[in-house]
Amino acid sequence: MDRAWWWKLAIILVVTLGSVWFLVPSYYSFFRLPREQRNNLKLLQEKMPKWAPPAKYRLNLGLDLQGGIHMVMRVDTKTALQKRTERRGLQISNYVKDKKLGEVNVDADPERFELTLTAVDPATMDAIEKDVLATFDDFTKIRRDGNKLTIALKDTQINRFRDESVDQAMLVIRKRIDKWGVAEADIRKRGNDSIQISLPGYQDAERAKELIGTTAQLEFRMVDDTSPFFRTLYQQNPPPKESGISLIEREGFPQLEAKDREVLLAYVKGKVPPDRKVLLECIASTVKKDTCESYRTYLVDKNVPLTGENLTSADASTDQFGEAEVNISFDAQGAREFATLTKKNVGKRMAIVLDDDVHSAPRINEEIPNGRGRITIGRNPTKTRDEQIEEAKLLALVLKGGALPAPVTVGEIRQVGASLGPELIRKGSLAAIVGLALVVVFMAIYYRRSGLIADVALILNGALILSFLAIFNATLTLPGIAGFVLTLGIAVDANVLINERVREELAHGKTARAAVDQGYDRAFWTIFDAHVTTLIAGAILFATGTGPVRGFATALVIGLVASLFTSIIVTRVITTYFVHGRNAQTVSV
Amino acid sequence: MRIIKKKTNIDFIGKRRPALFISSVLNLAILVGITIFGFNFGVDFAGGTVVELKFDHRVTAEDIRKRAQSAGLHDVSVQGIGSASENSFLLRLGGVTQLTKENSAQAEAAIRALGPIKFFNADLDNGLINFRSEKKLDPEPVKQAVEGTGTGIKEVRSLGEAQGGGNDYQVVVSGMADRVFTAMKQGLDKPDFIVQRVDYVGPQVGKQLRNKGIMSLVYAMVMILIYVAFRFDFKFGPGALVAMVHDVIMVSGYFLVTRREFNLTSIAVLLTVIGYSINDTIVVYDRIREEMVRYKGKPLPEIINIAVNDTLSRTILTSGVTALSLVGLLIFGVGEIWDFAMAMLVGIIVGTYSSVYIASPLTIWLDERAAAKEREAKTGMKPKVA
Repeated sequence: MDRAWWWKLAIILVVTLGSVWFLVPSYYSFFRLPREQRNNLKLLQEKMPKWAPPAKYRLNLGLDLQGGIHMVMRVDTKTALQKRTERRGLQISNYVKDKKLGEVNVDADPERFELTLTAVDPATMDAIEKDVLATFDDFTKIRRDGNKLTIALKDTQINRFRDESVDQAMLVIRKRIDKWGVAEADIRKRGNDSIQISLPGYQDAERAKELIGTTAQLEFRMVDDTSPFFRTLYQQNPPPKESGISLIEREGFPQLEAKDREVLLAYVKGKVPPDRKVLLECIASTVKKDTCESYRTYLVDKNVPLTGENLTSADASTDQFGEAEVNISFDAQGAREFATLTKKNVGKRMAIVLDDDVHSAPRINEEIPNGRGRITIGRNPTKTRDEQIEEAKLLALVLKGGALPAPVTVGEIRQVGASLGPELIRKGSLAAIVGLALVVVFMAIYYRRSGLIADVALILNGALILSFLAIFNATLTLPGIAGFVLTLGIAVDANVLINERVREELAHGKTARAAVDQGYDRAFWTIFDAHVTTLIAGAILFATGTGPVRGFATALVIGLVASLFTSIIVTRVITTYFVHGRNAQTVSV
Repeated sequence: MRIIKKKTNIDFIGKRRPALFISSVLNLAILVGITIFGFNFGVDFAGGTVVELKFDHRVTAEDIRKRAQSAGLHDVSVQGIGSASENSFLLRLGGVTQLTKENSAQAEAAIRALGPIKFFNADLDNGLINFRSEKKLDPEPVKQAVEGTGTGIKEVRSLGEAQGGGNDYQVVVSGMADRVFTAMKQGLDKPDFIVQRVDYVGPQVGKQLRNKGIMSLVYAMVMILIYVAFRFDFKFGPGALVAMVHDVIMVSGYFLVTRREFNLTSIAVLLTVIGYSINDTIVVYDRIREEMVRYKGKPLPEIINIAVNDTLSRTILTSGVTALSLVGLLIFGVGEIWDFAMAMLVGIIVGTYSSVYIASPLTIWLDERAAAKEREAKTGMKPKVA
């Protein structure tokens, strides 16, 4: 046995042990945990021995196998863009009047996001055209026809708006899902106007529809920051220690904080003064931006003086000192309300509430009479400038999302009931075992010892596929099981090619050693080419497929790569041991 | 043990003309069939709603159909799945929302009754109604008015004041699945079934998925072809391509003839067939290349015959082993997975056939043409037989 052989053997042993080791979390999650606890990583970690890999490397079941809801929402940016175009039209007409450029009638073409301005006095049109195009630079000129000017929203604007609308919708959806406490929810953008949501293990279709069924509610509420309510409550009625509720006070403003939303709400329930309401603010985790690290309470006025309906715009920018801010403006009615509100409450905080969650609570510094407000993010030593700008953008998004929501409709819903999953798992594993058993038995009978060696490689390949699925945090779906079986069928093809080649070389009268060596060498490129072509198809399927089909592609791709290792290297090392090491004169094939 | 004991000497090349002829006729027939009858598209591609219900007592598909019809659901197809004792059924509906032409006309009348409106626009695909009212309306009465006409409503949204007067509203109509549940629950205290699965795909999404699926097939073929051309001689390319196209058409033919549902999983099968069927072709090509070096000067048809005969047992074995692994899926698989296994089996069989009878003979044809051209260039004369 030469050095290279020992090296290969060492690699094979390491890979085998490694893949078995990585299957430990999957073993515990499937056979040691009750089914409903399968997604409980904390419990899994506790149950496992210390030497096991982290619990997150457990084999994830797809929605089709464990039940749950998969949905794709389409954000109807067209309707929102139409509204925006119309609003801009109104602004243009007012602008022309305010600047005393003349008078125009504005007609909107909602299909093409176009506005046609018709000047009452044709002589003023040239000046109007110049001024309007310079001021409203989100529009571009389409054509000019005497006293008619047609302008349209720029493509860059449409794209920006589309992205923004999808981001707004995602923000609202994320917050709502967070409220329900669904573990492992996955929300991502798909294409340029769709959002894909996976809620594994979740069955409540009615509530899932709330995601889209209701528009986000944006409200402005006054915060009662002088009330000692939270302090008194905390001192007179101390919460149990395990609840994790703590009292914090900044600038004499008492708030309660806890990691768990429900615990906090249960604690204050029934104790709130009659004309007040307790709302929560999510404190985002610094590590994972999309998740809430903890929640803080706010005592707010029960009355809602102003809602998002009256808000016309919100834009993030930086002021002359480079500080991040959000500029907001209200329509005529909103401006009046806002003026009264700010006049009455100078020095107090106003909470910006989206879907009953406080997003932020800026302080009112002065009366704002014209309906144009400015929210400064304020310097915070723990945050970088970029983070503050990011915060301003997020706030603008919240405000816009509540003011001008783009309607969201369901593109796709796939819901799998919890009872269907176990049945599919049972049938799927049975199908896989039967298929594999047939292949294993056939190989052993047909190629005798060489067949058994191929079987060992096949079983290692199976273990490798499962452990790599676990390592990559991929999900195992029903088509994935089919892909697993098929891949093992393809993997064993390589050994068929090798063994046939060895037989052929033996038939040519070669010695056992020469036959094995040449058999492997000559079959290698054929096997390689065959694997690469199937890999190409698998990779394309992986890139374009979604949901369960993607699970199939994952199993196929991992399995083919693993097969190059197991069916060529592993079997060769074992065969070489018998032929060279034991100096056998014959090879059992 | 051996399946083919002696060296075979079958003249595959001699039979290439009838084989090519039969294959071409079959392929053409399938293509014509697809244009005339089309596939039985699943919800993935056609859009629509599929609901899987499991009843807690014995029912037949006919019972369910009657129940649906008595609640006004006429275009529903009911299909049992699994064994009869499981009482599981798939209910398939074409539409995705409850909004139809008639419904929207009724809804328009109901909304007009509330006050004058400036325009009314029903988006049947997405189940949305947009309208502009001259006066400000409360969403609740609008909802009640429309629901009064029998259309389920999810929400009425106020979109705010419109430029030039009027208020915009949007009515979001409930999905078809809701209607199915209401229909099936009708007259019962509590439902006698549980919902196993709901699949709902909007028409636009369906179209997107379909286009994406077709494109992925084209990409796969082009990429594999590039790889084959790069690894082998260029003249092997066309043979491989025609073999791939042949296999895809034949497997499509399976879906066409059996009327099994054509969905995302079917695309996965077609892609895998493309990747897999080329495997056998590569085994044969590899051998042809090898023999070409060994028997220099021998005519290509003879070389190919030797190569195909030499590799015959492994061609049959590799396909057989892969087919063997599918047996379990064919026994225990239900629904999509059974279809997957069955179509894959068809793919393996036609893939094996095509690498012997299509991919290899085409190489000869190309070689002959090249030789003819060469001769033509040399002698300046047209050859009598190509």
